Amino acid sequence: MKKVTTPRISQLLFLALFLVLFLATEYRGSDRIVAAVNGFFRANPLTAASTMLAARSYLPLLLPGLIVLVAALFLGRFFCGWICPLGTILDLVTGRIRKVGAIRALTGRAKYWLLLPLLSSSLLGVNLAGLLDPIALLLRALTFFFHPLFGDTVRGGWRSLYGLMGERRDLLDPGYRLLRDYLLPFRETLYPLAFFSALLFVLILFLERYERRAWCRRLCPLGTLLGLVSRLGPLRRTPAKLCADCRACRERCPTSFDQELLQTEECILCMECALHCPSRRVRFRFAGPRPQVGPVMERRVFLGGVVGGVVLARGFRFRDPAAQAKLLRPPGVRDEDEFLKKCVRCGECMKVCLRSALYPAFFQAGAEGLYTPLLLPRLGYCEYNCTLCGQVCPTGAIPDLPREEKQRQVIGKAAFDKNHCLPFAKRIDCIVCEEHCPIPGKAIRSERVELTGFDGVKRTVQQPYVVDELCNGCGICENVCPLEGKAAIEVFRVKDRTPLTPSSPAAPPPGDSYTDPYAGNS
Amino acid sequence: MERRQFIKVLGLSSLFLHGWLRDLFAAQGPVVAVAQGTDHAGITRKALSALGGMQRFVKPGQTVVVKPNIGWDRTPEYAATTNPVVVRTLVEECLKAGAKKVKVFDRTCNDPRRCYASSGIEAALKGMKNVEVKHLEEERFKNVALNGKVLKEWELYGEAVSADVYINVPVAKHHGLSRLTLGMKNVMGIMGGNRGSIHKNIDQALADVNAAFRPHLTLIDATRILTAHGPQGGNLADVKVLNQVIASTDIVAADAYATTLFGLKPADIAVTRAAYRRGLGEMNLDRMRIVRV
Repeated sequence: MKKVTTPRISQLLFLALFLVLFLATEYRGSDRIVAAVNGFFRANPLTAASTMLAARSYLPLLLPGLIVLVAALFLGRFFCGWICPLGTILDLVTGRIRKVGAIRALTGRAKYWLLLPLLSSSLLGVNLAGLLDPIALLLRALTFFFHPLFGDTVRGGWRSLYGLMGERRDLLDPGYRLLRDYLLPFRETLYPLAFFSALLFVLILFLERYERRAWCRRLCPLGTLLGLVSRLGPLRRTPAKLCADCRACRERCPTSFDQELLQTEECILCMECALHCPSRRVRFRFAGPRPQVGPVMERRVFLGGVVGGVVLARGFRFRDPAAQAKLLRPPGVRDEDEFLKKCVRCGECMKVCLRSALYPAFFQAGAEGLYTPLLLPRLGYCEYNCTLCGQVCPTGAIPDLPREEKQRQVIGKAAFDKNHCLPFAKRIDCIVCEEHCPIPGKAIRSERVELTGFDGVKRTVQQPYVVDELCNGCGICENVCPLEGKAAIEVFRVKDRTPLTPSSPAAPPPGDSYTDPYAGNS
Repeated sequence: MERRQFIKVLGLSSLFLHGWLRDLFAAQGPVVAVAQGTDHAGITRKALSALGGMQRFVKPGQTVVVKPNIGWDRTPEYAATTNPVVVRTLVEECLKAGAKKVKVFDRTCNDPRRCYASSGIEAALKGMKNVEVKHLEEERFKNVALNGKVLKEWELYGEAVSADVYINVPVAKHHGLSRLTLGMKNVMGIMGGNRGSIHKNIDQALADVNAAFRPHLTLIDATRILTAHGPQGGNLADVKVLNQVIASTDIVAADAYATTLFGLKPADIAVTRAAYRRGLGEMNLDRMRIVRV
């Protein structure tokens, strides 16, 4: 970033916007979050293409993505050179990294071998594009690794300052408060796959060792898709080849001039060649002479890519039934297949989740479910009045529902483990789960039972039970169960996730004669 | 009369006049101020002045903690959290009495951000000078020796323990296990650690905490009470509007009186019973001075 040029200003503005939106993806006292927080995903052509292919329908949420795709037809890969925050980060660091020359394995058709399987598996209903989507990659690295690390460091420092200064630390509070309110995550969550997410990001940086924008031109599926489209468009650079007398472009161009001919599908419109042409010959103009370009890809790449998608979509279908039992999806997700079609694994829902209930799946949802969100109630629960995950989901995989409707969505159903649960196993009082159950009519209730404790003393103990018709599986009971490690009440996945009926069914008041068919007395 | 003789007569007379000595002191038993009216700020002030006004508790330059119930993500009308008007009035009175700083906080059960916002308390106190409405910070919890029957020690919130004056402002409501949550249960809001684990012996555990940590003033918000599905409710059908506040320096007495609002007797509440037996306060209604204003 030596010289200020229009593309560079644009890049920095979009990077700043990306970071601001990233920080805005957090509850700040209002039930609604500004809709723009997922803007980068909704304007992402790869997300739009893969999700619409998978859902086999038009999704209005993703219209901006289609617009960018159409724009790429006319303007080429301007997204890569002017907008993409990952590309900007690469441009910012690449100057400090010495180059050793391209990796040969990547210079061929490697990028099509990535893009095609992703798109064709989408057609078969498994939307994997998000795994390698640059925006998703960056957001996940930030969400799962860098932001928590930053928060943990700052907050840890603040805490240890309390150890050193005690109450006198309050003098510094205003400064820390600013930092905390605007930059730090509300709580530092440790995520599975945090290391892997960071590693992938660092690997992309590492590729800069070989050539500039190595990821963008050799691998990035989003860039590849845009490149494919741009070949069909009217925008051309003249001259299309390196000029015999100069060849300065070759040094300037970050992506597309390692050969004699400008590679349209790799040109990111950074304008470096036009701005620095010694003889001011270079022009970008519409409907310029069509350069001679080879075929996009050989038939074997195309067919291989499609077959690769089939393998991806069908070959990783295996799912472990035991892991399935606890595979809880965010509220409003009713059908697993439909969810897999739409989820782009962007990590927005996990970033915004109030109680850190959502985590990226590793293999719980099978290999095809990598990075999809699932709810781990022992670590966090779905806050009754919160609707944020649906609001930030760019594709509607988690539907954006009004609060009352979201409260009726069934995530799973709670069930007791009476070998663990204190009133059953130890015959002593507890009912923390009943206390926290947010359902107005209480999905967890208890009956007073006269029994003899193991100490020989007769006493009344309140034994809890679950009212299935009221339970929405929010998981707070499992979260707050005071037992160590495994909770005595757990939320399990259910196939039938029909929302609860609006007015709670004529349920009996607490402490009445309702008997739980499974509750043994004593 | 010589002193020695006086004591003898006093001692002997108590033998013959059974309960006389006890009644002498009981007659001056704890004052419980009960104020009623739809002006919730007004009744809060009335109850306070019946006890001698806030200046009886707060001296100029002191740090005061006002501890409402902000435990749940519910709006005030659901009666799961303390009435923000009552809280604000108390804070204003503290400042009027010359408090240097008033801190308002609670350890919430739902997300603290949502609880603070939904309860209306954060908004009610917004912009007030020398008033702090902060989420709890983990590092401020301190291990405190309780030497109780079931709890030997527990982590309590440092800012609550070190405050010059601690004012307890619970909302009166139903609870599945302890039947009601009132003043003594509200103290759980400054307890750290795994609070759920004290449920197995909640009456003794709460008595333990309340024996070691005594609020200077307890003001129970019964402007509206939650009669079922507590402690967080969520159904307006369970809420009863009473337009009352109850204030006392005796936490047990305040709880005992508030119990009657639910049609229960003080002795029905195990926590109250346990605290009374330990001498933490009075639970017999006829031995307290109930001042209705």
